[in-house]
Amino acid sequence: MDTPQTSAEDSAGRAEVVLGIGTDEWVARHNERLIVDSGPLARLKDTASKIPNLVRWLLVLLIAVAVPLGTSNPYIMRVGVNLGLFILLSYGLNIVVGYAGLLDLGYAAFYGFGAYAYALVSSDQLGHHWKTYISVPIIVVATALLGFLVSLPSRRLMGDYLAIVTLFFGQVFVQVVLSSDSITFPWATDSIDITGGSNGIPALDPFVLFGHKFLNAKDYYWLLLAIIVILTLTITRINRTRIGRAWRTIREDSLAAQAMGISINRLKFMAFIVGAALAGLAGTILSAVQGAVFVNGFDLPLLTLVYAAIILGGSGSLPGAVMGAIVMSLLPEFLRVPSYSEILFFVVLILVIGAMRRSIKSFAITLLGIFVTGIIVRGIFLSLSVKSLPRDEWATGVIGRFLSHWLFVPNNRLLWGNASFVLLIALIAYLTQASPTIKRILLPVAAFLGIFLWEVRLIQQPSTTRQLIIGTMLIVLMVTKPQGFLGKARVEVL
Amino acid sequence: MDNGVQSVDYFGQQMVNGITLGGVYALIALGYTLVYGVLQILNFAHGDVYMIGAFIGFFVMVGLGGPSHAVVPVAVMIFIMFAVSMLGSGLLGIVIEKFAYRPLRNSPRIAPLISALGVSLLLQNGALLLFSGSIRSYDTSSFVPITAGIHLGGVTIDGMRILVLVLALILMFGLSRWVNGTQVGRAMRAIAFDRDAAIMMGINVDRVIMWTFFVGSALAGAAGVMVGLVFLRVYSYMGFLAGLKGFTAAVVGGIGSIPGAMLGGVLLGIAESMTSAYLSPNFSDAITFLLLIAVMLIKPRGLLGRRAIVKV
Amino acid sequence: MAMLELEKVRISFGALTTLDDLTLHVNKGEIVSVIGPNGAGKTTLFNVITGVYRPDSGSITLDGQNLVGKDPAKVTRSGVARTFQNVRLFLNMSVIENVMAATFGHTHAGLFSSALGLPRSRREEADVREQAEELLRFFGTRLTGYRWEEPAYSLSYANRRRLEIARALATKPKVLLLDEPAAGMNPKETHEITEVVERLRSEKGLTILIIEHDMHVVEGVSDRVVALDHGVKIAEGDFDSVATHPAVIEAYLGRKAAETK
Repeated sequence: MDTPQTSAEDSAGRAEVVLGIGTDEWVARHNERLIVDSGPLARLKDTASKIPNLVRWLLVLLIAVAVPLGTSNPYIMRVGVNLGLFILLSYGLNIVVGYAGLLDLGYAAFYGFGAYAYALVSSDQLGHHWKTYISVPIIVVATALLGFLVSLPSRRLMGDYLAIVTLFFGQVFVQVVLSSDSITFPWATDSIDITGGSNGIPALDPFVLFGHKFLNAKDYYWLLLAIIVILTLTITRINRTRIGRAWRTIREDSLAAQAMGISINRLKFMAFIVGAALAGLAGTILSAVQGAVFVNGFDLPLLTLVYAAIILGGSGSLPGAVMGAIVMSLLPEFLRVPSYSEILFFVVLILVIGAMRRSIKSFAITLLGIFVTGIIVRGIFLSLSVKSLPRDEWATGVIGRFLSHWLFVPNNRLLWGNASFVLLIALIAYLTQASPTIKRILLPVAAFLGIFLWEVRLIQQPSTTRQLIIGTMLIVLMVTKPQGFLGKARVEVL
Repeated sequence: MDNGVQSVDYFGQQMVNGITLGGVYALIALGYTLVYGVLQILNFAHGDVYMIGAFIGFFVMVGLGGPSHAVVPVAVMIFIMFAVSMLGSGLLGIVIEKFAYRPLRNSPRIAPLISALGVSLLLQNGALLLFSGSIRSYDTSSFVPITAGIHLGGVTIDGMRILVLVLALILMFGLSRWVNGTQVGRAMRAIAFDRDAAIMMGINVDRVIMWTFFVGSALAGAAGVMVGLVFLRVYSYMGFLAGLKGFTAAVVGGIGSIPGAMLGGVLLGIAESMTSAYLSPNFSDAITFLLLIAVMLIKPRGLLGRRAIVKV
Repeated sequence: MAMLELEKVRISFGALTTLDDLTLHVNKGEIVSVIGPNGAGKTTLFNVITGVYRPDSGSITLDGQNLVGKDPAKVTRSGVARTFQNVRLFLNMSVIENVMAATFGHTHAGLFSSALGLPRSRREEADVREQAEELLRFFGTRLTGYRWEEPAYSLSYANRRRLEIARALATKPKVLLLDEPAAGMNPKETHEITEVVERLRSEKGLTILIIEHDMHVVEGVSDRVVALDHGVKIAEGDFDSVATHPAVIEAYLGRKAAETK
């Protein structure tokens, strides 16, 4: 193979090839010229980046296999199954969004469709009990077909039109499921209950595959693991070959792709349909493992989480989708327990302050500032003779007990918590505009307000807090690293 | 309504309801269309701005003593509600643009969308945290007696609906004057037409985008107060569905087109009111969805959308 | 024998008529240059041929086969490939993938056969890679070696233009449309491009239509030159006759200049 060395050898007279701005070698080596962060963290990152991809996959697989062998704790297995479903959804959405660049906002509805379809043919609701190896393939194909129908009106599949059609479709799906508990068909006199409305459909048959009846979450876990391994292999292969390449050209520049003979509409349909089919498959498994199906869980919050997962990991990357799915499915689980979420909150707070105040000295000063602010606020509250809340009533977590000697928690948590919420938002908005000096002075105040708000109000409202955290995370992620934490920086030409 | 579902009066009444609702949708759709025209992004948080607008209106009303113990004349109270809500929503729009969209101006298209989802989550749950999940009621029956209004045959158009319709028309008229008559409005159209050229002509794009968000969000805030006045209920999840409807109205009318947004809004409102009245209230969204699909099949760029010219 | 024929092609955007009943024939194996001041309709001509715009009237045929109404992908599959004035590569894909992707139209591996890695699709993949490597070698040492696995954005401007030509060739065209292939290149690279265009005809047997502003390139490669102004053909013939044609000089320099000449 010809290499540049040969051309360099040809001109052996020149001592060395001088590389100037604009030449390929100079550009191609830009990575080497990047100033590498120093410090232990950066060195760790550097070492980690040298591990080959295959080793990483095997490592993840090893852990995935080891967990069910080590424990039969039903809660852990259930979390594992949720994670598996999440990965499946992320893979599907990754094809739609990451490869073909289509905005599918009805993705959760395809998941729900799969789940309800399985429920209808595997329960007494309509009196059908299909065999697993018949029902699941049919449902997957049916979901794919539904995906095709939904995407049909946005023939040109221009991003925003597809977005609105699919978003609306998701909404309609929920509405139809909710109101299909008493439908009167024109040809019938009695109304029939199809979806069970808000009660859902209970008592579903479990999977029976190869003569084996799936009894607990662990069985589904193994099934999901097998599916995910197969999908990882096949999707990687598709990505490398003709269809995958063509998908990526659409994301890069759809007009140039067309000019190269690539039929972009067919490929977009294909991506969309494959995504829908995977969501349908995930839906059947969800139904079977729950043994019941309910309409909540197939709407915007789930969609947001799956989008967050693939974006967090860098859209278009399979390892990224796995990483993102791990974070986004375990994080809400973690945040459900107040004492865990409290620890997480303080770790993040310390990290954020650490990132903003790099030297140890200014970091310590900031911490001291927070402490002093707390004392001052305590003084103000006491001098206004605001009633305080007894320590035992709020300091539930480890950190809370530790802080209880310093932090003043007023009795009217609603009022003061809301006040601190509004104040904190205003302060953060102001801080982004402020001069460095003012930032330095006000950072401890903002941090204190955060702690105050957390202990006074947020810790009581885990579900709202979770959503607030995810919302903040999405914005911060997009503004700071739109390519995701694992994704490579992309070159965009607008 | 005693004289049966089939009567002309009932139809007329539904028509009035539909047009009122359509006016609200149109105002929301205008915000979508304005922002889309300038930035080509879908401002998903728009529906939640509308929700905040409704809450601001509610708290202004409560602050002024509520409908029954109003400390100012009713007309003044309504005026203040609208003014404060529009100002607050408009400022909120500016803040959202500054923090969630401006840093992403040159990112791939999906980035602002995700960040918009984030803003939407923040606003919804922020509202949930501050105002709790309960449904507030504007309780405006004591404002304007229900019997006041116009009677046309059997159709009653109550005072609040008339007020809302007139206000919506005034706002839309004002908007078209703003877009066509002011320097900022003209600059906005220039940016929508060709942003790069507009920058080169010395138009301060940041300022124009800021104004666009302010005006669009203020309209959403006004729509929020209107919904509160006519349909009474205000709650923290009301933004999503209304935003979706407003967005649909913008698409049906032709996204980027201001008359299109108005037309789309009114059509959607009438369609929704008619389907709930004559077909099935449970499936009204599904039927609106079918309408959207039909429009997109027949006129893919919306009813009043322009043919886009691809630049190569 | 005419390879590409445009008969009375007309397209307008609103009140602006960009191509006004344009008739143009390009014979097999011929290299024809299109020149004209900015806004003369040169790039629109390419867009109309490749199906990006649909002409309001007139006919376009390739080897007797109608092209009007086909979408750009179909036009390319019929045998017309193009490059873009402002270079539109798939920047985040590797150099070789850019070329391999363009073989899409004449390859067949489907979703399932490549997912399963069936022998047929593997053979095709190897074949596609070989084709791509060969096309990249066409540019000599310029595009060879380690750069193939690098992302396309790491290429210099001149090499991006070369890669764009290689990518167009991968569609197996009969007619190649080059939109300002020498724009932004230094004199040495410009000279190379002239040679490349000549070799594209002699080695690949292509029929070539070029838009170019650099008169050295136009002079060096063209069998025939067509001058456009406001969508109308104002002169046609060999380089010398077109370059000295009063209408051409007037279009470029204005009436006064034409009169003093």
